[in-house]
Amino acid sequence: MSVVHVMSLSTAAAEPWPEKATLYQPLKEDQILLSDSASSLAVQTFLRMCGLPVQVSCCANAEYMSPSGKVPFIHVGNQVVSELGPIVQFIKAKGHSLSDGLDDVQRAEMKAYMELVNNMLLTAELYIQWCDDYTATEISRPRYSSPYSWPLNHILAYQKQWEVQRKMNAIGWSGKSLEQVYEDVSQCCQALSQRLGTQPYFFNKQPTELDALVFGHLFTILTTQLTNDELAEKVKSYTNLLSFCHRIEHTYFKEHDRESQSGSPQSIVDIP
Amino acid sequence: MLLDSCVCVCVCVSMVHTNMAEPMELLCWGGDWDLPSVHTDSLIVLAYVKFSGAKLAVKSIDWTWRTITASVPQLHYEGSTVTEPTQILNFLRKQRFNADYELTAKQGADTMAYIALLEEKLRPALMHTFWVDAENYANLTRPWFTSHSPFPLNFFVPGRQASLALSRILLTKAESPLLNITEVEGKIYSEAKECLNLLSHRLGNFHFFFGDTPTSLDAFVFGHIAPLIKAPLPSGQLQKHLNQLDNLCQFCNTILKNYFTDAPAEKRMDCSPTATHDPVDANLQKLTQLVNKESNLIEKMDDNLRSSPQHRPHRHETKPSALASERISTPP
Repeated sequence: MSVVHVMSLSTAAAEPWPEKATLYQPLKEDQILLSDSASSLAVQTFLRMCGLPVQVSCCANAEYMSPSGKVPFIHVGNQVVSELGPIVQFIKAKGHSLSDGLDDVQRAEMKAYMELVNNMLLTAELYIQWCDDYTATEISRPRYSSPYSWPLNHILAYQKQWEVQRKMNAIGWSGKSLEQVYEDVSQCCQALSQRLGTQPYFFNKQPTELDALVFGHLFTILTTQLTNDELAEKVKSYTNLLSFCHRIEHTYFKEHDRESQSGSPQSIVDIP
Repeated sequence: MLLDSCVCVCVCVSMVHTNMAEPMELLCWGGDWDLPSVHTDSLIVLAYVKFSGAKLAVKSIDWTWRTITASVPQLHYEGSTVTEPTQILNFLRKQRFNADYELTAKQGADTMAYIALLEEKLRPALMHTFWVDAENYANLTRPWFTSHSPFPLNFFVPGRQASLALSRILLTKAESPLLNITEVEGKIYSEAKECLNLLSHRLGNFHFFFGDTPTSLDAFVFGHIAPLIKAPLPSGQLQKHLNQLDNLCQFCNTILKNYFTDAPAEKRMDCSPTATHDPVDANLQKLTQLVNKESNLIEKMDDNLRSSPQHRPHRHETKPSALASERISTPP
């Protein structure tokens, strides 16, 4: 969780959710990468689960506008909040929460599983994007720097790659091979699959922020074209996770789009 | 014929003898403060070894050149080397020393999740407490590691560990506006306290996290909290917080008593829930509320630090005097 521009509880709760709340992310067609797309979808899903309308705005410099340097971020009233963790807290201060019905042990479990997804899935996505040379050269660097002209595009792309590689080094992932990373993703999906079991959501009947986060990552992995399909194959081998994604997509994205004629600015592609 | 069978028997005996003569060997940091090792990762492996009943020879790297060359803990077996606690535990499981045998699939998944929680939320604060906090580093950590390293490595080993710890904290926790370690401190300590509260909730009144036998999750939790409980830290706000969580301290002491003292047999603890349910719960509720209030206060402080001129928020009265006593003590 990054530190957040959140007002004190009393003030934030006094202001209702405005009409023109906006979510900012990088350009959808050309620029956004797998990890950012996953995080953005997770936040959008969470907001839909809470029933809070938000407009998605795609900007090339979203990363630089964000208070913490990470996307997505939401602009609500005169507050700017980035990343799922702080956004969940902010929305809780406004009186909307998905995890109020959980007891303390369940809340501990939910936070633990959210950390598992961040620790394994998100880190694996970053590794595959930036530390695998082939993917970095073919996909990540061109996409990341597409809005900029020469020589800025080269500088920014290499700078970002270097930053991510430093972080991987610090947490000990730089020594891993790609196969080991795929194996880690597989184990993470297995843990999620076992926790989900046959239930509709992770905490039975009601979705929580954990469901939003898992959906964001898994759906993006399944629908994003990378240099090979191995990552998507790892996820597809768990049928209950696939049906979980279908269910959330159907409940929160397709029906919502049918209700509002204009639909959301972002159209969700069917899972192949 | 008789000679052949004698030879065969002799060869067999010598082969068995050779296999038995090559036990697994574990390298780790030495112990102090009533602990078998002062290093978190080494403690995790040592605890798991005791829980799973693996037989291996433990060698401490103190006062050898391995203090700077080896990445500890390290397991040697038949020429191969395994590092990192997770890899070592996997290796031991493959050798049929499995403390997680009786866990269900869901409990196995929970183990992975809680280990991720420990790594993300608790470990940065632990590293800060021991290696970055100036008072602790100067008075406890550096003298200890200096005195346990040979000359001339004693000049390098603590400094190297400290800079590795600092860079790891900054790279993983400090996002772009927070490039300064002091601004990150508040955040990592409040996350660590929340993590400890969550662990305490999860442990409840039981002796171990999954029933009455310890598993790898117990080893990981023990490895992280035992140094924090036992080390004589000069400035330890996290230690103070942990000491208020009685069930975690009890958990740590139980493991030390049952698995790390020279008791004749490993006794199984009587695992009926104790009668102190209500006071433990009330204490934990109070601590959870304190952590929540603290994190709101930190956010408010950071908000004031970085409010932009055109979006200056209204300044409100600080919360009533209940918070006055809960000032966050940041290290100098």
